[in-house]
Amino acid sequence: MSRHEVIIEVSISLLIAFATGALVLTILGFNPGEVYSVLFKYGYSNLNYLLSKSAPYIMTGLAFSIPAIAGVFNIGGESQLYVGAFLGLLTAYYTGNPILALIVGALAGGALALFIALLRVYRGINEVITAIMVNWIFYYLLAYLIAGKFYNPQYSHESVPVPPSARVPSLAIFVIAVAVALAYYYLLYFTDLGYKLRVSGISPASARYAGFEPAKSVLTSMLLAGIAAGLGGALLVLGITYSIDDTLTAIYGIGFMGIGIGLLGRNHPIGIIFSSIFMSGLVIGGQWVELKTGAPPELADTLIGVIVIALAVPYAYSMLVRKIRGEAK
Amino acid sequence: MIGDILNILSNTLFSMVPLTLAAVGEIITEKAGVVNIGLEGIFILSAFTSTVVTFYTGNPYLGLLLGLLVGALAGVLHGVISVYLKGDQIIAGVGFNSFAYGISLLSLVAIWHSHGSSPRVNKIVTLSFGDFSFSPLAVVAILVGILAWWWLEKTPSGLKLRACGEDPKAAEAMGVNVYRTRFYATVIGGALTGLGGAYLVVGWIGQFTKFISAGRGFIALANVAFSNWNPLMAIVGGLIFGFFDALSIYIPIKIQGMTGRVITAESNLFRTIPYVATLVIVAIIMKKVKTPRALGKPYIKE
Repeated sequence: MSRHEVIIEVSISLLIAFATGALVLTILGFNPGEVYSVLFKYGYSNLNYLLSKSAPYIMTGLAFSIPAIAGVFNIGGESQLYVGAFLGLLTAYYTGNPILALIVGALAGGALALFIALLRVYRGINEVITAIMVNWIFYYLLAYLIAGKFYNPQYSHESVPVPPSARVPSLAIFVIAVAVALAYYYLLYFTDLGYKLRVSGISPASARYAGFEPAKSVLTSMLLAGIAAGLGGALLVLGITYSIDDTLTAIYGIGFMGIGIGLLGRNHPIGIIFSSIFMSGLVIGGQWVELKTGAPPELADTLIGVIVIALAVPYAYSMLVRKIRGEAK
Repeated sequence: MIGDILNILSNTLFSMVPLTLAAVGEIITEKAGVVNIGLEGIFILSAFTSTVVTFYTGNPYLGLLLGLLVGALAGVLHGVISVYLKGDQIIAGVGFNSFAYGISLLSLVAIWHSHGSSPRVNKIVTLSFGDFSFSPLAVVAILVGILAWWWLEKTPSGLKLRACGEDPKAAEAMGVNVYRTRFYATVIGGALTGLGGAYLVVGWIGQFTKFISAGRGFIALANVAFSNWNPLMAIVGGLIFGFFDALSIYIPIKIQGMTGRVITAESNLFRTIPYVATLVIVAIIMKKVKTPRALGKPYIKE
């Protein structure tokens, strides 16, 4: 598919999403014009906040897309982000060393993703089911650990904090995330391993013929994905929230959002950087919308849902193009 | 002791209903060759719809009916996307889950100005025999499972439906309309899941809460694999997964009752039981299952 066809396809999905959103808002008694103008005016005005908030999204976007390119559906970015955030936090709390904390977070996410990949390769278990179960297990496990073990004595609904020495400047987390995205881009499109991963996604049979077992691409792509998501969690805690609350409010949903971000970025690392910034603005704007109009921030989830559904139908899009071209003749 | 056992059995029967209904619905959908992983979203949307309808009419049976209809409508949407537009079924399902979660919370705020839960609404009747109680929908779920098995395995139309999921080209050659069969199968699957979702509120919990489905849509999907696409086994699977769900709710309440200590933090630990159990069960049995051959692949006529 050519570059401008991609742009048209993504634009159509966004258009459908915002039209559906407007319809929903109208039905629920909100003024869509007002909601959207607040969303875009405030969502994208604070550049520093916009970029830093997009860093974890870039990472979960990669966590979805790298396996997707290799033909694996990683819906477990959520729990991979959780373990990265939590173990990154603990490392930061006990050592005060941000670099160590980021590494531990990334490895924790990688290990969890590898577990899902191993179950798929050696037990034939569908990665979607495993990942969702793992997401819930870690959601509750983390809620338990934060409320029961690692709580902050001063604010009992929060975890222990990231000490000032281990905090990462907000713009630095964006730079780190972009650097990882570029590294993944290089890996995918300019190395032998990347070529093998991409071939496995298009045709497992050809990959096998070229001497690369599909099982290897499942394991490798999931390890890369988990490292990204785990690092995303650590970046979030070290650069934005500095602690985790016991209902996981600030970290819940970022992994799921990675699916929409990956698809919107057309599973391309560079595209993901841009779609993350776009989504980051939607989320920030959503918070302002709540403040200004009372419409809840879950508007962003609704829009992302419709965007994803619309992006699931490229065949319909190509039919549409054929029809328009056919009639134009 | 007897009381405890009856209590857990009761809760197992309450919990098995959505897990069985959705799994049987999904078996019908998947046997025809379409995979719908939007079950979680259907649970949420139909649970919310039935709450709204019951709140305004006071009639939980109407709530149940409209929940079923919303599930069927979701099936129509998924059917159009996967069968006629040949979209990516997994991605469409994921998008639908996110959409349903978002729109139900948007509506929760718009209608009741609450971010967490709706007011309590009327529930359908519960059958009680001393300490032992269950919902009539548990009976319905079991009957639906038996009926679905009989339909799929013993009738000509069931055979045609299965052919669409195994070898759509051959089915077409037999004179079966693959598109229409797959579409209807998806709608039926959505309707049964919708019934399960509505039941979450009007048959069981009594109000809509933010995480009401809590991954049950995916446990139902695990139940499909567990049952090896056999509706009778999906009833058994519903009972097994329902048992662990019941256990995870029962244990913390019991500990709190015995020790008098509030165990909010620890109760989170017990909430992991159904998901760990699902993972373990699926890991043990999954090697042996046989997926419909054409599952998830759009059928394109030449």
